[in-house]
Amino acid sequence: MSIENFMQNAVTGWMAAHGEHSDIVMSTRIRLARNLRSYRFPIAFTEEESMAVDSAVSGALLDSEGGTYSYMKMADLPALERHVLVEKHLISPQLANPDRPGSVILSEDETVSVMVNEEDHIRIQCIYPGLQLKGAYKQADAVDDVLEKELSYAFDEDFGYLTSCPSNTGSGMRASVMMHLPALTMTKQINRIIPAISRLGIVVRGSYGEGSEAPGNVYQVSNQTTLGKTEQEILADLGNITERLIAHERKSRELLLAKSRIALENRLFRSLGTITYARLLPSSEAARCLSDVRLGIDLDIIHDVDMSILNELLIFMQPGFLQQYADGELTQEEMDICRAKLFRERLNVERASASSEGTEER
Amino acid sequence: MMICENCKERPASVILTRESMGEAIELQLCEKCAFQAQTLHVDPNQEPLSIQQFLSHWFGGAELFQAQQPQEAAHQGSECPTCGLTFLKFLDVGKFGCATCYDTFRGQLPRVLGKLHNGHAMHKGKIPVSFNKIYAVKKKIEAIRVKMQEAVEAERFEEAAALRDEANALKVRLADGGGESHVD
Repeated sequence: MSIENFMQNAVTGWMAAHGEHSDIVMSTRIRLARNLRSYRFPIAFTEEESMAVDSAVSGALLDSEGGTYSYMKMADLPALERHVLVEKHLISPQLANPDRPGSVILSEDETVSVMVNEEDHIRIQCIYPGLQLKGAYKQADAVDDVLEKELSYAFDEDFGYLTSCPSNTGSGMRASVMMHLPALTMTKQINRIIPAISRLGIVVRGSYGEGSEAPGNVYQVSNQTTLGKTEQEILADLGNITERLIAHERKSRELLLAKSRIALENRLFRSLGTITYARLLPSSEAARCLSDVRLGIDLDIIHDVDMSILNELLIFMQPGFLQQYADGELTQEEMDICRAKLFRERLNVERASASSEGTEER
Repeated sequence: MMICENCKERPASVILTRESMGEAIELQLCEKCAFQAQTLHVDPNQEPLSIQQFLSHWFGGAELFQAQQPQEAAHQGSECPTCGLTFLKFLDVGKFGCATCYDTFRGQLPRVLGKLHNGHAMHKGKIPVSFNKIYAVKKKIEAIRVKMQEAVEAERFEEAAALRDEANALKVRLADGGGESHVD
């Protein structure tokens, strides 16, 4: 497959580098958990119930919003395609398990995905580029309204939306913001900030969820509690913390530039060299270098790389995408070779007009 | 990845141990099978589900909860009529089986939910219109009253009067649609 075609098929809405504070906030995600009143939750339901839930939910959405959504059953998708949906953050790893009776309903531009029969019957998810808490919520809320018109939700006057896990009860809403915080990480301030924020009901994690490190200095900041606050209050609290983190990060960047510009420039350009010319690129190194190059662009030190390419590469460097690109299963070493090749091609395609060097098609 | 010993399909995420003839038997199960296993209890040293770990930390697990509150023992034995979950098993698995569970364990839930949600146990957010239109209107009237109070305190009487009219109009709607007779 040519790299242009591959990228065209693989790029999804939230990877575009725009939206507010898009230099630091990569994407905003809202997730709403809902269940139908008359069926047991997925942990306890029968196969018949799972099928009834699936057809009720997909029917409600596809009938009213026809055309704009497509429906996919997990059991019908090849493993690699399920993997790629996970890496694009469009479905959860749990849903991708083909033994679960799950399916996903995706909007054309992939900003909306509705997971059916994950931990809850319905998980509405909206991902937008940059910091767009209100916009993403508005969209998720609208999808919720469409479903609610047709379906009878499990809801309680005291406890709100009833969910499988008590940690989601109430609004059922998890709002998260993906942030690139290299300067706070380099200066080790992030280690003091994370515990302080957790006292405010906000959690900070590595980008791949609980307990994960932060590869590429990307952190996921989200609300921990879902009960006792309105959706607007939750969004305002999260927005506040996010803005403060952005301000902190900017300040640390200025400090780094003022105190050790040459050392910083050296590191950032070396990373650019690595992703442009390496022949073997392990994922941890790729993530670290992408973070450096992104910082270089933000600080106006690196000029000839487009930011949206970096967002794409952060996703495409993962195993599912690499194997789809290579059209087959890959060993660890083959994966590192393929990753390096994909990076070279992508960066060189974009720089081909600036230099006479062509792409490296084989 | 460990595969569930019961269904041999899904990945195992819960380790359950039980005593059998004085010996401890360990079972690696998926969430679904752990939910369905009736007589098992959780090994406190297991690699935990996060919520399950949380619940056992706060309540000392199912056994301690039982020991602490013998007077409630009868109630804790009550089983959800829709999915068969008991409260003790809920503490083990950390998940509800259906919407009816919330009714079955209503008495214990404020304590559990409060621990998970910074002390909050009452929903304040969105309400599905279909769930109860009257309830939604009541909430709206409450919100208007709060705003009206604020307007009065700030001596914005014109705004307060408009809000009063709005609240009254909603009350009339309530009386028409919902069989509520009092309109003051």
